[in-house]
Amino acid sequence: MKEIEIFSGDFSGELRLQYADSGIFCGFPSPAQDYIDRTLNFNEDIIKHPSATFYAKAIGDSMIDAGIEEGDILVIDRALDPQDGDIVVAHINQEFTVKYLDISHKENGIIYLRPGNSNYKPIRLKEGDELNIWGVVSNVIKRFR
Amino acid sequence: MWALIDCDSFFCSCERVFRPDLDHKPVVVLSNNDGCVVALSREVKAMGVKLGIPYYQLLQQYPNSGITAFSSNYKLYGDMSARVMATLREEVPQLHQYSIDEAFLDLHGMENFDLKEWGEKLVAKVKKWTGIPVTMGIAPTKTLAKVAARFGKNYPGYNKCCIIATDEQREKALKLFKTKDVWGIGRRIARRLEIAGVTTAYEFTQKSRSWIKSRFHVPGERTWLELRGFDVIGVDEMDSRAKQTIVTSRSFPGMLTDFEDVKTHVANYASRCAFKLRKQNSVCEMVTVFLQSNFFREDLPQYSNSMSFVFTTPTNTTPEIVKAATEILRMVFKPGIHYKRAGVMVSEISSARAIQPDLFEYDAELSRKYRKISEALDEINRKLGVDTVILASQQYKERDEATGKSVNFSHAIKRALLSPDYSTSFDAFAIR
Repeated sequence: MKEIEIFSGDFSGELRLQYADSGIFCGFPSPAQDYIDRTLNFNEDIIKHPSATFYAKAIGDSMIDAGIEEGDILVIDRALDPQDGDIVVAHINQEFTVKYLDISHKENGIIYLRPGNSNYKPIRLKEGDELNIWGVVSNVIKRFR
Repeated sequence: MWALIDCDSFFCSCERVFRPDLDHKPVVVLSNNDGCVVALSREVKAMGVKLGIPYYQLLQQYPNSGITAFSSNYKLYGDMSARVMATLREEVPQLHQYSIDEAFLDLHGMENFDLKEWGEKLVAKVKKWTGIPVTMGIAPTKTLAKVAARFGKNYPGYNKCCIIATDEQREKALKLFKTKDVWGIGRRIARRLEIAGVTTAYEFTQKSRSWIKSRFHVPGERTWLELRGFDVIGVDEMDSRAKQTIVTSRSFPGMLTDFEDVKTHVANYASRCAFKLRKQNSVCEMVTVFLQSNFFREDLPQYSNSMSFVFTTPTNTTPEIVKAATEILRMVFKPGIHYKRAGVMVSEISSARAIQPDLFEYDAELSRKYRKISEALDEINRKLGVDTVILASQQYKERDEATGKSVNFSHAIKRALLSPDYSTSFDAFAIR
């Protein structure tokens, strides 16, 4: 386990909140008012494509270095095109697995699914091997309590 | 132009999204209580299995066939259906969902698009986003779009998107298309057409309009127009074309020998059918009740029977349909049998708007009362939950100790092969 670094807080600045005050305008309300949002919409931020987004629970420690621990919730977006270095959910050998996608050696006909844990070996796929990339992990949700 | 989107073996496909190991393998989905097959994959269809076959027969007739069976997981199917529809809606704002796995897309104003290319892209997008394979049929009318979708399904060459645009394409397709498969032509009408020498959709379109109208009335005429390329079926009318039969059937949790016990179940099935009819705004002319003993218990006397009742005026009210079903049951019920299963089917379904009352038997006042009762039932049950108010004949003997309510119909269901709620729960889908 890594040590936890503790940062001291800096309270010298002033935290300004967006504030909509249409009261001072006469006539038409400010058109910008609709766009000032004082709340964060986590759903919108985390789930870009609701109809293509699925959730899974992570098991095991093969992606521990990627920050994915047992019990974390994987947000999987099937609408995204998998790119080199993405964390993906793949279906291989009758099983779902979450790994880094390494397609940097694709021109040599080799694709790797790399674990985020040096105790595990990468999965090497040659041309002709079946690889079903089920979706791209876009976010990981952790619960601390 | 209209497009029909039809999900391929929808229930099986939903299961496969989370079980990619079952791709290209035979899969079936069973009815409530794991009684009979309600959905089958292409591979199972190719084995000659027909929809509706009881599960025990499937096991007996196809041993070692590697078929994977699932209990119906309607929560999963409902969620996956919503995802498919939402994905489609992003591309076409005018979408009319027609069933859990079918939707019509209004393509008016898109005539200048390369619809074939557009359709193939959309089909691929739905598959990528949701995992559900779909087929698209595009044509000038909804009825022809249905025809096109079927070609798209049956011939891989169309790449899951088949267009009927020109008259040549239309005629060629209709010559290969059986009347019984045409949307809106039921089996009964197809049989009458066959007697008249009409077996293909093309032959149907070659009959005169008056010939069609005199025999098959307005709905037949509208199908005739649609097949000839005239877009006449409105969105409201689609519902009445929905299902030609509605079946509610269950295996009993145990075996039943008492008439009153069986009657309670049958009354519930009948009530469910009536509710479904009202929901799709249609009426039925015929009610059928069927009854079966336990085929697994060869030591017991075996019996199965069914009988139908035809209404003089089509109906969808709960009192009338429940009464008819219990009367039929009285006739088919044989004492001394251990019953395992019963079902109620309503058929000869048509739109509620087009009821032609029988002049001699129609009691307008009584009919109005029944309708009022049914509407009130729906309203209360919608607000307060399914089966809050039921007919006395639907009352199960058992009561829930805690609530004092009678045991809910849907609680008496066995689902041994249920898949997890993959798409609606954070915990059901685990990845290593």
